[in-house]
Amino acid sequence: MVEEKGHPNGIDEQPATDAKPKAGEDLDHRVSRRKLLVTGVGVMSGAIAATVGVPAIFYVAGPAQEQGGEQDWIRLGTASSIETGTQTLMKATVERRAGYLTTTEELSVFVSTENGADFVALSNICTHLGCRVRWVDDQNAFFCPCHNAVFGPDGTVLEGPPPRPLDRFETKVEDGQIFIRRT
Amino acid sequence: MATRFGDWLNERSGWRAAYTMVFLRKIPKINWAYTLGSATLFAMIIQIVTGILLTLYYVPDPQLAYASVGYITNELPFGWLIRGLHHWGASAMVLLVVLHMVRVIIYGAYKYPREFTWITGVALLLLTFSFGFTGYLLPWDQRAYWATVVGTQIGEVTPVVGDTLRAVMLGGEEISGLTLSRFYGAHVWVLPSVLLLLVGIHIYLVIRNGITSVPKRGE
Ligand code: HEM
Ligand code: FES
Repeated sequence: MVEEKGHPNGIDEQPATDAKPKAGEDLDHRVSRRKLLVTGVGVMSGAIAATVGVPAIFYVAGPAQEQGGEQDWIRLGTASSIETGTQTLMKATVERRAGYLTTTEELSVFVSTENGADFVALSNICTHLGCRVRWVDDQNAFFCPCHNAVFGPDGTVLEGPPPRPLDRFETKVEDGQIFIRRT
Repeated sequence: MATRFGDWLNERSGWRAAYTMVFLRKIPKINWAYTLGSATLFAMIIQIVTGILLTLYYVPDPQLAYASVGYITNELPFGWLIRGLHHWGASAMVLLVVLHMVRVIIYGAYKYPREFTWITGVALLLLTFSFGFTGYLLPWDQRAYWATVVGTQIGEVTPVVGDTLRAVMLGGEEISGLTLSRFYGAHVWVLPSVLLLLVGIHIYLVIRNGITSVPKRGE
């Protein structure tokens, strides 16, 4: 330890020159003790802030990286129950995981078929602002009660504000059961 | 550039005088034991930062608290680190605050004119313990539950008001969701507000009265 003399820790910016300068030493370029300490404290604080701060960014962003945890293929019901020439409303509950919470959500899908083998599954959510559309057999169309949109049986927009057709699911039939998947 | 901005700001705020008063003030020749108060302060800052981060995910709901803690520890990136820092930081706080107090006792630093500094210090000690007590329940596991049973039963033996005290602490006769939410409210709102206020006063007093020098033989 360097012996302190004269100014006991006073406010002064002079280098701590208590130690005798050694022969040939460049006095002007000696770092003052204060400067060394201030820099040291600064570097250490920065390191600690980074140790907490950088992981904190990942920690905060964590859930944004997560998948919804939704099942892949969702079973709707028996394929034989779907008649040709109309729309059959089928429901399924899907589990959704958000962090520590798993919630179940009702999914309603209009399923139709022309030949009993190929199925079309349309979401019942209006592509305008998300109201639920309903099928009217007489008119052979879907109607949205919110802003009077009309969709054709294949989901195309016939009238009203929706920007795109009804969303379609991918479908498959396995052991007489019909499954859908989001595309 | 930086100095010019510093000058500009100084002219309008006088921050240099404040900086000098806080960081460049004259102090006697002291030793490492005098850093314990600052160490406690530092641990407190870590607790505040990690605690705020924990509130982003923790929910004080009896159905969800345990799961949310599990999610933080096992699933979130670096959740184990944030929670670990807060967990061990709590013990560090208690240790440091006690050591700091021991230093003040050994050096007789509580004497005139620092009695009030000491009094605010005692309040800070109790606050630190209260943080530990209220925080311990929040994970809502068996250990948390039983520690709170024990803790509140200790409160119950208080003469005359014991029963009432326990009931008020728990928000009823038994530990319930009400207990959890009031412990949470205390832990993240009530205690921190009081802590910051008291730390402010404590440090103001330390600066205003100056730090004691190491007592000499026969003093
Ligand atoms: C959250 C808790 C606390 C914090 C953040 C804190 C912070 C500080 C700081 C930074 C100092 C400057 C000197 C030093 O570091 O030793 C100090 C001094 C002091 N503290 Fe604390 N303190 C806390 C708790 C306590 C407790 C529990 C007591 C005693 C019951 C206490 C009594 C004092 C006294 C009397 C001084 C003046 C010492 C002197 O002038 O030499 N403090 N405190
Ligand atoms: S929400 Fe369906 S038309 Fe506007």
